[in-house]
Amino acid sequence: MTQITYEGRTVDIAPGETVLEALLRAGVNAPYSCRAGNCHSCLHRAIDGAPPPQSQSGLTDAQKSMGFFLPCICRPMSPLTILRPDDLGASLEAIVRAIDPLSEDIVRLRIEADGFAYRPGQFVELSAGEDLKRHYSLASHPEEDAFLEMHIRLHHDGRMSRHLADKLQAGDRLRVAGPSGSCFYEGVHADQPMLLIGAGTGLAPLYGVLRDALRSGHRGPIRLYHGARSRKGLYLSDELRAISKARDNVDYRPCAFDPSAPHGGDVAATALDAEQNVAHAAIFLCGGENLVKRLKRDLFMRGASLKNIRSDAFTPAR
Amino acid sequence: MSSLYDRLGGEGAVNAAVELFYRKVLADGRIAHFFDDVDMESQIAKQKAFLTMAFGGPNAYTGADMRNAHKRLVEKGLNDSHVDAVIENLNYTLRDLGVPETEVKEVAALANSVRDDVLNR
Repeated sequence: MTQITYEGRTVDIAPGETVLEALLRAGVNAPYSCRAGNCHSCLHRAIDGAPPPQSQSGLTDAQKSMGFFLPCICRPMSPLTILRPDDLGASLEAIVRAIDPLSEDIVRLRIEADGFAYRPGQFVELSAGEDLKRHYSLASHPEEDAFLEMHIRLHHDGRMSRHLADKLQAGDRLRVAGPSGSCFYEGVHADQPMLLIGAGTGLAPLYGVLRDALRSGHRGPIRLYHGARSRKGLYLSDELRAISKARDNVDYRPCAFDPSAPHGGDVAATALDAEQNVAHAAIFLCGGENLVKRLKRDLFMRGASLKNIRSDAFTPAR
Repeated sequence: MSSLYDRLGGEGAVNAAVELFYRKVLADGRIAHFFDDVDMESQIAKQKAFLTMAFGGPNAYTGADMRNAHKRLVEKGLNDSHVDAVIENLNYTLRDLGVPETEVKEVAALANSVRDDVLNR
């Protein structure tokens, strides 16, 4: 007999029993549907202990590496501590190292959080107070940078924006939880074409993924499309042009809204027009919900496999 | 004789069919609107569960599960014509994959067997 720990309580698992059966028996209102490992309704994540490989069947490589598993087909042999899929877990203290402008309304925040493990492109929950929490994606690389780097758009009326712009200084303390999100370089073959498409601060995770891919020795062609409302919003363009120049396989394609540009400078239309053959590409989509939804559907309809599409859609703060 | 699921090729056959099937469903104006607000990743997992059931593979669906899963869609107007369209797309998918007519008919019959539960009647 073994146990699982779920939201602070310990539930015994009888021999042959699944994690889902044990949770339901313990009165946990866990979601489920097919009970055969197909529909993914009961998906959970193990943050301590290794779920049996067969309980991860059908999940993406990114999900597997993050400890996701299917409770309805999971018969663990050793203890597991599990979380709901959207639970980021406990937070750590972080210290602000620097806040610098990247464009007119985008800042770069660098914080130091000891022992915080992540993959470039994942997102974290940053909290500057009990009721002031936001999700931001990571552009930094854990093996190259001693800090976590986020790109944050400042909104006039945004509470976190005002806090960042008016109050926060180097040396201040924040809390950081996570990471989460499957938008990172995992399950990609070194020779596979990579297609990175993002708008606004959606560049942060893509920049992280690009650096991770190059560091991992990616050989296939990488095309990065970055969209912005105006040319001034194309931040990091000098760095990206330099990478594109230094690496034969990297192609940086900035798109700013401009009535005279092809497709009016719309990044989705530009990328969809140029990328006709996507069946074998590893695709990363980051930006607003509408952009991500549109691109995901259109790329899927023209032959991209959903398991090759990793995406991260930003939702506005409530 | 081996089971329908084994004759079709088991889980590999489901994996080969699921994206093809989902593309056909999304391209079908009669039913695509039911999928507009659904997250594509969770939807494709559900499509896979449905195909596994229709292929005669391992599943633990009960009539009540089917009813609950489709209740919201029935309230939005899901009816027999939409179930027909889904089964039609399933038939085309299997023919695209070169599945013999006998098996295509067996799969359609299995899919059809949950019609009343899906439509909550």
